[in-house]
Amino acid sequence: MPPPGFSMFRGINMANQKVKDYKDKIFRATTFFAAMMVLAVIVGIFLSLAHQSLPAIQKFGFFRFISTPTWDPVHEVFGAASSLYGTIVTTVLAMAIAIPVSIGIAIFITEMCPGFLKGAMGTAIELLAAIPSIIYGMWGLFTLAPIMGDTVEPFLQHTIGKVPYLGSLFSGTPLGIDILTASTILSIMIIPFIASIARDTFNLTPQVLRESAYAIGATRWEVIRNVVMPYSKSGIFGGIVIAMGRALGETMAVAFVLGNKHQIARSLLDASSTITVTLANEFTEADSDMYMASLFYLALILFAMSFLTLAAAKFILKERAKS
Amino acid sequence: MSKNIKIPAEEVLIQVQDLGLSYGSVRAIKNITMDVARNAVTALIGPSGCGKTTFLRCFNRMHDLYPGNHYEGRIIMEGQDLLGNDVDLTELRAGIGMVFQKPTPFPMTVFDNIAYGLKLKGILNRTELTDRAEMALKHAALWDEVKDRLKSGASGLSGGQQQRLVIARALAVEPKVILFDEPTSALDPISTSKIEELIFQLKKEVTVIIVTHNMQQAARISDYTAFMYVGELIEFNETDVIFTNPNVKLTEEYVTGRFG
Repeated sequence: MPPPGFSMFRGINMANQKVKDYKDKIFRATTFFAAMMVLAVIVGIFLSLAHQSLPAIQKFGFFRFISTPTWDPVHEVFGAASSLYGTIVTTVLAMAIAIPVSIGIAIFITEMCPGFLKGAMGTAIELLAAIPSIIYGMWGLFTLAPIMGDTVEPFLQHTIGKVPYLGSLFSGTPLGIDILTASTILSIMIIPFIASIARDTFNLTPQVLRESAYAIGATRWEVIRNVVMPYSKSGIFGGIVIAMGRALGETMAVAFVLGNKHQIARSLLDASSTITVTLANEFTEADSDMYMASLFYLALILFAMSFLTLAAAKFILKERAKS
Repeated sequence: MSKNIKIPAEEVLIQVQDLGLSYGSVRAIKNITMDVARNAVTALIGPSGCGKTTFLRCFNRMHDLYPGNHYEGRIIMEGQDLLGNDVDLTELRAGIGMVFQKPTPFPMTVFDNIAYGLKLKGILNRTELTDRAEMALKHAALWDEVKDRLKSGASGLSGGQQQRLVIARALAVEPKVILFDEPTSALDPISTSKIEELIFQLKKEVTVIIVTHNMQQAARISDYTAFMYVGELIEFNETDVIFTNPNVKLTEEYVTGRFG
């Protein structure tokens, strides 16, 4: 306790300190509450998903559920394998298309694009991300799917389709409503994420570092390949993970062009289904408790997948930052 | 009395003739004519914004990386105009090394930093790379400090070590000239003196052009000094003359610290 009459100041004393302390406490409690909301929502969603899927978990177990390809509402036999397969294949294929294209876009914008195009290109990329996914879905169904079915897929069948082993990926009748079309749409949707993050991280590479690579005789490609890309590795990786999360969870665009068929298709020209598409299409038809519980179980699995993807990415980035 | 010294022809490596550089309508430097002596250290001094760095960056055509820059005049090295359209910029920049203000190690290991320039030149033989890297590091007085950590990242070295690594990297490709752009301005005094000592040693093999804002540094390590002001070369002479008995009043005022 300070002695009576003690003051830190020569003249004017502070305003009532008690009131100020009180206000500060309210302020702190408010921000704490706002932050806790996030945690509460995550935990709440997880718990309610788990609770509602409990009957299905008890009936099918975990490994049996994810390894059973049958999705038979009539006999109430539900397995996630076909939806999981569709989700993973479309995501992987979309990433395989989107990553090289996005990095190419980012390299062009940061390293080669003439000044007047730079801003326009950047805005165009960001606009691509602003298009609602339902519009991608409609465009995919009415424009892209016919092009894929009439031109692209027959072409692939006549070229890569003739290669042994690889050829079976392109067997079947090309209808345009299939894994390949869905992946193409997905890749277009995630390109802006990877491209704009890659562009931002490329821009973070110090100019003097670029110059010093030029200064020992590196060509433009060598500067990008050996200095800019390694310097931007973790940023690009982050963009890829965000895009992957988006691809895993995307519903509308895929629902239009994937055909919603519960099967593990060997060919990329077959229809399939993803977890999200199954959920979007079938909640209205779920007439039994077990059907409903199985859909919730699917949702729980998707939730866990997205969560694990992000967690793994954070972990890898942390490890990389250490070394 | 001429304000610029004439260096005997047999000692000259590079002749700068009426050099100018403009971007847009701004003429950053103009009418620079001087000789650069072979195996000597030439210092460029002058107040901030006088164009000394702009001048330095003409030698390896750094300005070509950005649109809108336009050269005037010629920079002739052994009969070849470095500003000519027929010059291969990649080759030019490999032959005229550059060290920047801040150390710029590449995001690679210590060894790979040195080997990088050599690989660009097409040397891929592992033994030769190792030998040359060791030679360059010894040359840059860094070998003893890093020989046990060649495989670890270059970013783990101290600032002074990084700067010597960058010098070793420039040396490894055996250039004729190395340009230094205020190489010690981001370093502590001990690292600075190591780098100065190194630059002093380097001139046995290479020709050095160094931009510095530190006049004592120019006096300590250079043989010739060029004083620039507002984009023009005011006086060029032997370093002793510039610092003890300059011919131009402006030079005297600058080196005695009355402005700048």
